[in-house]
This record gives sequence, C-alpha cells and structure tokens, in this order.
Amino acid sequence: MSLFDKFADVAKARADLDRAEIPPVATPIDAVHSATEGTIGGRRVILAGTNNYLGLTMDPDVVESARRALSEQGTGTTGSRMANGSYASHAALERDLARAWGWPSAMVFSTGYQANLGAISALAGKDDYLLLDSDSHASIYDGARLGHARTVVFRHNDPANLDRRLARLGDDARHALIVVEGLYSMMGDQPPLDAFIEVKKRHGAWLLLDEAHSFGVFGERGLGVAEDRGVLDDIDFVVGTFSKSLAGIGGFCVSRHAELEYVRLAARPYIFTASPSPAVIAATRTALDKVVHGQALRKQLWRNIHQLYGALNELGYTLGSADPGPVAAIVMPDRESALAHWYGLLDAGVYANLMIPPATPKGLNLLRISLSAAHSPDQIDRIIDAFGRLQKAA
Amino acid sequence: MTDARTDIHQAIQDAVAVSLPQLGTVDFDAVLTSEIGLDSVQIMDLVMEIEDRLDVSIPVEVLAEARTLNELAGRIEPLCKDGEA
Repeated sequence: MSLFDKFADVAKARADLDRAEIPPVATPIDAVHSATEGTIGGRRVILAGTNNYLGLTMDPDVVESARRALSEQGTGTTGSRMANGSYASHAALERDLARAWGWPSAMVFSTGYQANLGAISALAGKDDYLLLDSDSHASIYDGARLGHARTVVFRHNDPANLDRRLARLGDDARHALIVVEGLYSMMGDQPPLDAFIEVKKRHGAWLLLDEAHSFGVFGERGLGVAEDRGVLDDIDFVVGTFSKSLAGIGGFCVSRHAELEYVRLAARPYIFTASPSPAVIAATRTALDKVVHGQALRKQLWRNIHQLYGALNELGYTLGSADPGPVAAIVMPDRESALAHWYGLLDAGVYANLMIPPATPKGLNLLRISLSAAHSPDQIDRIIDAFGRLQKAA
Repeated sequence: MTDARTDIHQAIQDAVAVSLPQLGTVDFDAVLTSEIGLDSVQIMDLVMEIEDRLDVSIPVEVLAEARTLNELAGRIEPLCKDGEA
C-alpha cells in the first residue's frame, strides 16, 4: 500500500502519451519566437493553441511596461494584498478595470483560477445556493467545493433546465448565484445569455459571468459577450483572466455592486496568497488599454476566425460550435484519430491542443485551435492547408 | 424496499439506460468510479438525468458521499421527501 497507488490509472494514461518523442499533452515548447511562432521538437511551428487571442504577449508597449516595472519595483511583492502586497499599481489596475465596465468595484487576483475560486467561494456562503452550468471550468467547480453553498448543476446551455432547478428553490432562489461562461473553452460555444438573464430575473437570482475566453474578443470595447449582446446591465459579476487576451497572468472580478469590496475580507484565495508581481500588473494595465481600444485587433482576429471556420466546414470537419469564435474545437471520432491528426498537424508545422476525456464534455476527443489577431493571413492559409492534407489522407 | 426507494431505483435504472447505455445492466453495489469505470463528467450526466426523472435537485456535495448507486439512492430519498434542492 502506498499513498501513490491511487495515481496508477492516470499515471499509466500519461505514460502512454509520453512514450512518443514529442508528447501531445504538456508538450515542451523549446522556444517562443513571436506571439504565433515557436519551436517544438527542433521544428519551427505556428502556435495555434495558445489563447493569445490578441497577440499582446510580444506587444512592444506591453513588454516595455513590464520591463520598466521590473527595474523600478523588483521581481515580486513577497506578500499578500492584506499584508505588504498592495502597491499603488494594484489599486490602479482595479480602478482601470472598474472604469472599463463603468462599475463601482473590481478586485485583482493572482491567477484566473483563483479569481473564480475566491469570488465564487466567498459570494455564495453557507445559506446560499450555487447553480452551475455542467460544462463549467474546473475553477468554477473548485470554487463551489471551497465554499459552503449548496451546489446544483444544470444542463449545459439549457435555461429551461436552470429554470426548473430555481423553481424548486422557491423564495430561496433569491440567495442563488448562477454561474455561466461567455465562451466555453472546450467546445468553443457560447451561452444563450438573454434566456439565462430572463430566468435569473424571474427568480430574483444573481448571475456571475466568466468571460475568461470571451474578454478581448467580443464587444465593441472587448469586454466580452455581455457587452456584445447589450446585456451588461443584467450581469451582477464578471470574472476574467489576465492570461488570455491580456497576455499575462492573474485574474479579476468586477461588479455593479459596490459590496464586492466585502469579498476582499472573505475570499481565501485572495487573502492567503502573494499578490501579482509589479511587472505583471504594469503589463496588464497597458494590455487592458490596448484591449479596450483594440477594435483593429478584433477586426483582424474575426477575419481569421471566419476564414478558419469557413474552411474547416468546407473540409467536412465536425466543429464543437456552429457559431464561429476564437476557439475552433474539431470533434474527432476517437482518441487514435485525434492523436494522428495532432501529430499530422505538428509535422505540417502547426501546434494545436489535444483535448481528451475526462477533460472534455461527453467523452469527446478534440483538436483545439485557438486563433490570434497576430496570425498572419499566410499562417491561417498554412493551418488550413495542413487540415486539407490530413483530410485528404484520412 | 419502500415505495419511494423503488421509484428512485427505477429512475436510476432508466437514467443509466439513457445516459450510459453502454453499461447494460448495472450493479447497484458496484463502485461508480473504480468498478464501473465512470469519470466525473459521466457521473454528472447521470445525476442530471436522475434529477429530471424525479424532479428533484441533487446537490453535488451528495455525490462525494455516494460511492455506489445504492448509496446514491439512499442520499436521494430524503431529498425527494423534503421536496427541496
């Protein structure tokens, strides 16, 4: 008997994948040359699985902001926000975020994962209820586990199913926090937000929208699907991450309710961790400005999205979502063909993500492409050519 | 077995047939993960199917406490009686 016995199955699955010279999971990226190019296994490849939607990781202004803060303020804060880790720049970024939404309150967390963990576990307490979409990200489920609210799951993107669960709560629905995502990262699909809002309002519940993958991509100012659909006034809390369109690491929660400030006093993932480094905060402030004023970047990104979605549909691939978006999830018939496609793409100079159960919904095997505004038309053509050749060979 | 427990067993059997048809007949005393081989997503799908059939909300906290379908049935019974989430 060993503490490690319980890892036997998952260790075997991982070992099977690791037998290959280049493992398709946790693939080592030897070098990064730009927002869209790197080296894997000695080969220069197009990075098409990075969530770097606006390509800001290498933006000269963003990099220079980080460099300056690094020189002037050092490598880390060495403390939590509640102790010595609240610099002027942390508060300034929170003001920037609140101003972007036009809301009174914003909190910065050290990662996007911790933003969901902290916001959800603190907002929904012992006598409250959490209603989670079944396809929710692990950080949402873990936020529920960390907190003490009673948690019920409703069917993915199914407002009628949510309605039934809220109806069973009766008046207690007023203590219920519904959590949905703006863009689901596995299948690339979006929520029927209007219908969810109608259900939420009818029961007097609260709504938290996770815009991790939709922020920067949707809406005139890039605030996400709620802005895009003109329903910002009906959202109570937005959670997001710095590690996708904002090109850094960290997370945030913004709210129309000034009482979000109380969450600082209760969210353990906010209180008991070191605050983000000054360089990350400085880079994120510059990146946020570029997102809000990033209409040209979004135009380029959407050109790339429509080109890839159109081509993949034409080639006969099954996509996880009919609605085009920055994530193109290609549904493969089984794990073997998903693996063969992944290696085929790599051979053709394209790095994508391999997604396999249990990380995926419905036990699906997926190849995931995430697009960037920084992908050039030539790179998009090369990605499409690679798929075309694989489809012909299949 | 009480009437309520019989209804719950029937609902679970029907839910398994819909969401996990590949399993065929299910042993109610088998451990859902290690013996039947279900992952967390499959268990969640099964529970949502059971919820719809019994018109009851089953909190996810209950799932952590139920290793087998019989144990799950035992946790669901008081929820059906209370008529609460």
